Amino acid sequence: MSLNRMEAVTRSLRAEGRRGLSPYVTAGDGGMGRTLQLLHALERAGAHCCELGVPFSDPIADGPVLQAAADRALAAGTDVDGIFSMVRRFREEGGNLPIAMMSYCNPLGRRGWPEACAEAADVGVDALILPDLPVEEGGPVRAAADAVNLCTIFFAAPTSSEERIRRAVEASRGFLYVVGRTGVTGVGTTFDDSAQSFLQRVSELAIDLPVAVGFGISSAADVSAAKTHADIVIVGTALVRHINKAGAEDSAAVAAAESFVRDLMTGLGSPNIS
Amino acid sequence: MQETRFGEFGGVYAPETLMAPLEELEQAWRELREDPSFEADLHSLLHDYAGRPTPLTRAEQLSAELGCELWLKREDLLHTGAHKLNNALGQCLLAKSMGKARILAETGAGQHGVATATACAKLGLECVVYMGEVDVVRQRPNVLRMELMGARVEVVKNGQRTLKDAINEAMRAWVSDPEAHYVLGSALGPHPFPSIVADFHHVIGRESREQILAQAGGLPDLAVACVGGGSNAIGLFRGFLDDDSVALVGVEAGGEGLETGRHAARFSGGSPGVLHGCFTWLLQNYDGQIEHTHSVSAGLDYPAVGPEHAALQAAGRASYEYATDEEALAAFSALSEREGILPALESSHAVGWIMRECEELRGMRIVVNLSGRGDKDLSTIMATRGGSAVDSVQGSEVMS
Ligand SMILES: Cc1ncc(COP(=O)(O)O)c(C=O)c1O
Repeated sequence: MSLNRMEAVTRSLRAEGRRGLSPYVTAGDGGMGRTLQLLHALERAGAHCCELGVPFSDPIADGPVLQAAADRALAAGTDVDGIFSMVRRFREEGGNLPIAMMSYCNPLGRRGWPEACAEAADVGVDALILPDLPVEEGGPVRAAADAVNLCTIFFAAPTSSEERIRRAVEASRGFLYVVGRTGVTGVGTTFDDSAQSFLQRVSELAIDLPVAVGFGISSAADVSAAKTHADIVIVGTALVRHINKAGAEDSAAVAAAESFVRDLMTGLGSPNIS
Repeated sequence: MQETRFGEFGGVYAPETLMAPLEELEQAWRELREDPSFEADLHSLLHDYAGRPTPLTRAEQLSAELGCELWLKREDLLHTGAHKLNNALGQCLLAKSMGKARILAETGAGQHGVATATACAKLGLECVVYMGEVDVVRQRPNVLRMELMGARVEVVKNGQRTLKDAINEAMRAWVSDPEAHYVLGSALGPHPFPSIVADFHHVIGRESREQILAQAGGLPDLAVACVGGGSNAIGLFRGFLDDDSVALVGVEAGGEGLETGRHAARFSGGSPGVLHGCFTWLLQNYDGQIEHTHSVSAGLDYPAVGPEHAALQAAGRASYEYATDEEALAAFSALSEREGILPALESSHAVGWIMRECEELRGMRIVVNLSGRGDKDLSTIMATRGGSAVDSVQGSEVMS
């Protein structure tokens, strides 16, 4: 079995002591053609991996910006088949960026987990992130994902006990997703002492598993603060807002995304901006 | 966590941030349900404050007309006017014992919101209730009641602006403030909510069983209740689960008819999936997106059914039927005119199904849960008929 593309990247970040950036986009927001171009733009800008959001009608862990993005994507007719086709095309066009598909359980689970995982792996998805799937319910998904060499990524939150964090670490491949604060996506996280010590505690518990932190990171300065105890910094809402603000033209949206991600990359520090 | 499922249904599909509060809740519930002083406090609230036991009333005229023996479990007579208070008092007492000061709740018909606002006022807790904009309009009196008791009502303007969207927003609020307690209002959501809510409503079934034995001299052939999320139905059903001779029927909202697609009949028109923390029957499209629902009653206007009902249906222990808007409205009129009881539009569905199926049910003894009273629904009802004396009077002129 070949090394999973996501694991290859996150492990080498960890091994070399470098930090990585993982931007998030909602698939189909602005049309699937735009999403395809955005993935290429993220890769050009130097992102280390990315999250591709599957829009869901009832996203209970998302704030208003990502809710609206999901609504726009669904109104534009986005479905899982369309997302899979787009990812396949991205790979055919030479795209090499590791992709974590981020979906609430129902849109993927509806197909049956073995089918969903097999198809995802086949088109070139590298990992699954399921914000309403705690480790307790993760068994069937892990089995289906492992069978096709797809990473499953679980969460640690400030409310998680050590015991829960250990179980999430054990169940995750690629990285552990650390929610920087209690709350939905989009509200700012301040990397004060308590947030930093939480992140430090998680990264100690994670041992070899790379740790990614997300929720409310919106500038190069945030990225710089967030990377202290995390291998990977995730930027979602701020990027989606940027793209949406750029207007109806795909070219403008893609250019806005690329320059924003380049700017965020500066927050990672010098080894990353050669 | 202990057993989180009913057969294959249920589970705990919650964001990681909520897992610790859910574990803490399960732990507290396991301890307190065995605690005599908690039980005594709850009993006293239910008995001396809320007005339990509620009566079981024989519907004389309707029984004669329908050719069956119809008994009404009068949850409409519970303080605040619906069964919802059983759960709200129970959960708020539980939350208070856990040291929680702040309560979050969602509401559809407004009855769970009113019940939670009431329990919070009584127990000295802060209360925020999330309610869809459409429901705020159609259940206006309940919004005012919540506010009068000191609760803050947050109007939810996302999605279809009904119960589903109110639950989304309440869950988001809970993720943002996991120190608060979320009083879920029906037997749904992630474990342990479906079990806790059913436990608190079990009193409906326990009383009904005792009362029917005492008043009718035997068990019923049928126990019937409307099913939104499923709390009043599971409360009634739990009283008769071990009585194999008692058939259990849940009645969902058929809306404008299944063929129109405008309904909330999950068992007839849906398929299993995950929404709001549990695996259960849902109305969803081919791609797992949740479908819009429709019902004349806000409390049944929801795309998922509680997981214990999904398991009872799978096991063949209960069956699930539906009544349309029109049938519910006809039942509302029948109960009003023949029995002098204005039922909630939710409860009217249960009676509406009985009226439609009366040929099949001839001669049967039936207990139906009259889960709430209909005062909240007057504006919806009047919009379907008109011809009231109030329409001819100008209030401002008379009063000035
Ligand atoms: C009077 C009444 N009955 C029934 C319901 C439906 O809920 P459940 O199925 O949980 O009993 C509601 C919900 O708001 C209600 O107010």
